[in-house]
Amino acid sequence: MNFLTAKNRLNKSKTHWIGLFLGFMLFFALPLLVQSNHYILQVFTHALLLAALALAWDLLGASGSISLGHAAFFGAGAYASALLGLDLGLSPWATIPLAGLIATGLGLIMGLICLRLRGAYFALATLAFVEIPWVITDNWDSLTRGSLGLVGISGLPSIRIHGFHVDFGSSIVVSYYLIFAYFMILLGLVAFVHQSNIGLALQAIREEEIAAEAVGIHVNGYRLLSLLMSAFFTGVCGACYAHLVRYIEPGLVYGLHFSAVPMIFAICGGRLTILGPAVAAMVLYPMDQFVFHPLLPAGHEFLYGAVLILAMLFMPNGFWGRLRNAS
Amino acid sequence: MILLRLKSLNKTFNHFCALTDIDFSVGEGEIVGLVGPNGAGKTTLFNLISGRYKPSSGNILFKDIDITHLKPHAICRLGISRTFQSSRPFPGMSVLQNVMVGHVFGKRSSLHSRPENKQAAKELLDIVGIAHKADAPAGRLTLSEQRRLDLARALATRPKLLLLDEVAAGFSPVLVKQAVELINRVRKRGVTLLIIDHFLNLSLKVSDRLLALDHGEKIAEGPPHVVMRNPEVLRAYLGLRHESERD
Amino acid sequence: MWSMIFVSSLSLGSFYTLVALGFALIFGVTRNFNLAHGELVVLAGYVSYWLWKMWAFPFILTFPAAVLVSLVICLGLERLFSRLHEPLALNSIVLSFGVAVVIQNSMLFLFSGNYRLIRIPVLSRGFHLPGLYISYTQITLLGSSLIILFLLYMLMYRTYLGKAMRATIQDKDAAAMAGINVSAMGTLAFCIGALLIGLAGPLYGCIHYLYPSSGQEATLVAVTITIFAGVGRLSGIILAGWILGLAESFTVVFFGVSWREMVSAVLLLALLYFRPHGILGHGER
Repeated sequence: MNFLTAKNRLNKSKTHWIGLFLGFMLFFALPLLVQSNHYILQVFTHALLLAALALAWDLLGASGSISLGHAAFFGAGAYASALLGLDLGLSPWATIPLAGLIATGLGLIMGLICLRLRGAYFALATLAFVEIPWVITDNWDSLTRGSLGLVGISGLPSIRIHGFHVDFGSSIVVSYYLIFAYFMILLGLVAFVHQSNIGLALQAIREEEIAAEAVGIHVNGYRLLSLLMSAFFTGVCGACYAHLVRYIEPGLVYGLHFSAVPMIFAICGGRLTILGPAVAAMVLYPMDQFVFHPLLPAGHEFLYGAVLILAMLFMPNGFWGRLRNAS
Repeated sequence: MILLRLKSLNKTFNHFCALTDIDFSVGEGEIVGLVGPNGAGKTTLFNLISGRYKPSSGNILFKDIDITHLKPHAICRLGISRTFQSSRPFPGMSVLQNVMVGHVFGKRSSLHSRPENKQAAKELLDIVGIAHKADAPAGRLTLSEQRRLDLARALATRPKLLLLDEVAAGFSPVLVKQAVELINRVRKRGVTLLIIDHFLNLSLKVSDRLLALDHGEKIAEGPPHVVMRNPEVLRAYLGLRHESERD
Repeated sequence: MWSMIFVSSLSLGSFYTLVALGFALIFGVTRNFNLAHGELVVLAGYVSYWLWKMWAFPFILTFPAAVLVSLVICLGLERLFSRLHEPLALNSIVLSFGVAVVIQNSMLFLFSGNYRLIRIPVLSRGFHLPGLYISYTQITLLGSSLIILFLLYMLMYRTYLGKAMRATIQDKDAAAMAGINVSAMGTLAFCIGALLIGLAGPLYGCIHYLYPSSGQEATLVAVTITIFAGVGRLSGIILAGWILGLAESFTVVFFGVSWREMVSAVLLLALLYFRPHGILGHGER
């Protein structure tokens, strides 16, 4: 691997925590700062969702595997949650975790097929793997309504405890806070994984697999664990997306976009860091939406490809990783 | 008491016989040197014992448990640990972390590493003599330091049997002397050792017994001075048999 | 009916071989996976479509332009790839994935997202043989693929240059020791690859709708055939192309056209599952 000097432990310096706290406050207060401007909040809600997606992708990335097929979990999660809501009338509180579990099941299938592969061949296999749930969703008309897609998906869920009532789907501000909460939970979990012995095992596996198994690390067990965690949270992201946008179709949720974007954010931000993928998402997606989209309505996403190329050539540790190595 | 027993072990790679019918056993507390020219099958034997390769036929018993079909991590947890011919540190971790990985996963793993792991890891670094490098990234160590780290990490898994692959190859006489002391220190911890020693600069000094291989076959075994006078062994090492020139 | 399936899979399979050739050659010589391959094929198709539709170029004259465009891009790609470090195969996948995103979005910008097809009136006609109907499109695909394959075979097996290239494919380091300029061979592989892409693109536009994201399918076809065939065997490549063509035709007949897209993916997964160490296949170092 080419990240010889990158450390993946949280740098516990004081400035780090202050920065983290300021970032948290900034995003917490964002709806006030932009005075609930609908468009800006919508962009940042999506940015947070994509940041969560990048974090979920990087749970697998930490084991040294690069997936080009996470849209499989994203799409499966989106479809599962939407269909459970539409056909069985379940509340999103139930369907979103169920969607995560269904995505985990898909992750298990992917694991059985792909985990014997390494590096480039693993990546190629994941690229091919997306086609399977995609084509099945496209063709299973009686269940999924086929390529027409699903409309009328319920909005994000609401909380009703006695007199207290918050409907997260009612306005963009509350949707924003729900996604923000999910992002923070996932971030905490990723940080925990990195600090724990799971993180240590994953680092050992990606740096020197043969030595890792020789010192007692169950290599494929940990690789599967990281894939399943990644699939679960990617599925939850897909489910949130379905309830946020309230319209999905196979080409939208299984398409290249949702495979490419988390990988690009993770690699540009630094896939061996905890915050890097999220920071990249929070910077690049708003940049895309506020700057490039108005300039180039068709083709604005070339930005993502371009930053990926630049990162591969000049910053193999990602900009967050580079920032930390420099300090 | 016999710790490790190899029963008519065979290994072929695409019709090439790397090991043929190896029968051998190692007793508890012994130090056995594994000698032979390049390509004799010494490292292949290590890879079979540690579970990286599966034998084509034959059995490996450790403490009377059949470990032939176990995965490397399971074999490690039973108590067999190894070092590598070209050492394989985790380059992005600190030296101390490398050893802690062995400590945490070598026996059973919990979600959190406890402070006593760190203490034990530091002691091991002290034993192999690189305690002053504890916080350096493992990727920046010199070759001889990397070998010591490999050894410390292997010891951290608390093995009963330790397989050392060319620990002293290329060492100066001073370093070899240190290595001899080190091995004696390891032995005092109750560890049985199997040592690959191509250049014979270590095993003659520390081994109780030698096993000599050539072209994947056992050609001699016994006390060092006997094995080293065995005509087959001499022939293999001096290259009098023309086949042995091929690698 | 069987003979018609057979003819269509033969022509489709031969064409798939043509689509995969450039990818396989570049991978063989440089060990770079070019995931932007399909996008380049589609781009070549768009160039041809545009010249043919807008400036009423005769179809056959659009080929040089398509070749020229893909040559320029491939040489740029080669510069990018040459700056990568180990692990080369994985890094080239990630890098070329980024290139694919850039090309897709450029095509969206230049040609819009509409579906385009190059309709050549002559090609849509055909003739009857006893018991089967053959269209000129099928003849064209089969004929041009086989001719190009034959020319490439002559280059690789009958010239000194081809020998040097094959040596590089088999063992780069040994080839370099024998005095072969390995990096020049890499450049040459990209040039020939670009030529093959430029020839495949316009034909692709005749049988397949062009839209900016349609290249993914061509990439998957190229990857599948290359992994199926193994490195550096032309005979293996045409066999792999035919098998893929057959598998797709049968799927279309028995399950319907909408399942076709899954065929190459399933085939690739099956190949990787049973040969997990990939093309080079030695596994242990």
